[in-house]
Amino acid sequence: MADDAAKLDSACEALKAYNWGADKNALQPIEDAIVSTSSDAAARAALEARLIAVLESDVSRDAKDYVCRALAVIGSTASVPSLATLLTKEELSHMARFALERIPSVQAADALRAALATVSGDLKVGVLSSLGNRGDAASVTQIAAALGDADSKVAAAAAAALGSIRTPEAAKALAAAKPIAAAMSIVMDSRLACAEAFLAQGKMEDARAIYMLLVGESNPKLIRLAATRGIQTCLEQKR
Amino acid sequence: MNHGTSSTRREFLKTATGAAVTGVFAAPYIITSKALGDDTTPPASDRIVMGGIGIGNQGGGDQGAFLGRGDVQYVAVCDVRKKWRDGAKDRVNGRNKNSDCAAYNDFRELLARDDIDAVHIGTPDHWHAIMVIEACRAGKDAYCQKPETLTLREGPLMIAAARRYSRIVSGGSQRVREDFNNLVGPCWNGELGAIKSVNVRDFGPLSQLCNLPAQETPADIDWEMWLGPAPWQPYNSGRCDGNFGTGGNSWRSYVDYSGGSLTDWGAHLFGGATFASDVCELQPTAAVFHKADGQLGAYVTLTYPNGLEIHHRRPDQLKPEGPQIDGGKIQIHGDGVKRDPKPAPGYKGGGGIHGDFIHCVKTREKPFRDIELGVNTMVALHLLTIAYRLQRTVKWDAATQQFPGDEEAGRMVDRARRQPWFLS
Repeated sequence: MADDAAKLDSACEALKAYNWGADKNALQPIEDAIVSTSSDAAARAALEARLIAVLESDVSRDAKDYVCRALAVIGSTASVPSLATLLTKEELSHMARFALERIPSVQAADALRAALATVSGDLKVGVLSSLGNRGDAASVTQIAAALGDADSKVAAAAAAALGSIRTPEAAKALAAAKPIAAAMSIVMDSRLACAEAFLAQGKMEDARAIYMLLVGESNPKLIRLAATRGIQTCLEQKR
Repeated sequence: MNHGTSSTRREFLKTATGAAVTGVFAAPYIITSKALGDDTTPPASDRIVMGGIGIGNQGGGDQGAFLGRGDVQYVAVCDVRKKWRDGAKDRVNGRNKNSDCAAYNDFRELLARDDIDAVHIGTPDHWHAIMVIEACRAGKDAYCQKPETLTLREGPLMIAAARRYSRIVSGGSQRVREDFNNLVGPCWNGELGAIKSVNVRDFGPLSQLCNLPAQETPADIDWEMWLGPAPWQPYNSGRCDGNFGTGGNSWRSYVDYSGGSLTDWGAHLFGGATFASDVCELQPTAAVFHKADGQLGAYVTLTYPNGLEIHHRRPDQLKPEGPQIDGGKIQIHGDGVKRDPKPAPGYKGGGGIHGDFIHCVKTREKPFRDIELGVNTMVALHLLTIAYRLQRTVKWDAATQQFPGDEEAGRMVDRARRQPWFLS
């Protein structure tokens, strides 16, 4: 045990100087500790605290990248504040999401949702996609607000996130969406995804309402065909 | 032959052909003899118009297979490496005896073309799901190299996109059907009886973290596009070169781009094992981790809803008694009570797995390696990987695509993609 602790101390020191090209084997004791603390909450919390301390210190991008990967596996609510500060940083936002997206606590979702108000462009695309990947139904209102973004990538990411969440509220927001033209195909795809979720839940009328919205002549042929097949499925399942 | 989208090319050709015959066009030479077809080549209106995305290494092999077919009109290539893009374009133009092949750096430009019916995708694994889904949304059929997925979450989204838009999407392991006939026969003809267990041996390491040093990025490669949804890392030729190496000498070695040999060769071997034992339409219910014990090395057993067990690297000392066949890398053990034979599915059309795909693009039948079957194999491999990484047993619920009550394993279902790329 003492030997393991010494090795972990040494690995945490190596992490502070870690950078691309450094010997990654020096970090193996951290990898081992991630596995060995699986059923030891106190030891895991202690490991998490050490990693957070590294994340908050002046270390390389690669070292922070490594910590975020580890926190994706073991991070808890304790990690959220440190990770949240990185969401607005161009170079670190993705790896902060890499961890936050996988941390189950509501505080992780809260941090992502709060960041929507402070990021724009590609960073906002990333945050929206992470909320969608989490299936965070509590974020529908904030995500829906981005459907009208002038940046087509942001509007498309918002639509995709709602298509991943697939709740009645998400479907309602998508039905009302009037995004700029470049985002419309993802809006329609996400409407179809919502309809499929309703079909799977046996909510035929809700599914049919979405499909009926999409069979109109003004929509692309591929969408109309998908909606027509959906209506057919609704009819078959009703019988 | 772009099902579900406007077939302007075909309609134009048909109209133009008729028009040329009736002399409406003053310049009938716009319809070439190649477009009209001959004894060995169908007319252009009956050919599948294709493009290739990710055209180096294995993608080049796929390109060769499709390019060699008379019923394929190959018109476009896409690769983020100029040398591969140019080489692939030259190959197409040489074959077509013209200079018409278009070359793209960005796959979205290729997918935006209305005249393309189908694409083959041979990029590193971290791009597969996004490209297959985007291809479906663009109304293209897709042949995707194995391993079809990098994470568990990707598979259902790929299947949903294929089904939503009625696209033909085929996985890309030819070995599933071609390498294990010595096993498939006795299993499907009933000689071996009910299959009780399978052992898959002989393939190697999990993918690992890459920490290669930065090198100057060559002008030849669009590094941001090569990385795409993967975490940003500096260019190093060792990160992106190579093809099959999994010992630190190719992108297949690294966790951001690949599941390592376990998913690379695993796609072939577990694809073959699940096909031979007739569980390829199922997903496992658990990956049981067996710790190393004395002389016995650690190994993992996948359990299936029908009671079948598929072991990965089961120690030879634990080999069961009773009827079995040893195919080298795969051993299958049955109860020996003869059963009624079942016909084993095979490729449709001629020309192996590539011909099967083209046949299905034309007929709209499900291909031999329909994406759902490829995904089922990948789920088995991702479960194996997660059990090895956590060094414990994990249980899987195929209906919800989750690890019930297992938050730690649940974190490994997916990973955040680098902006501006996302999956839905």
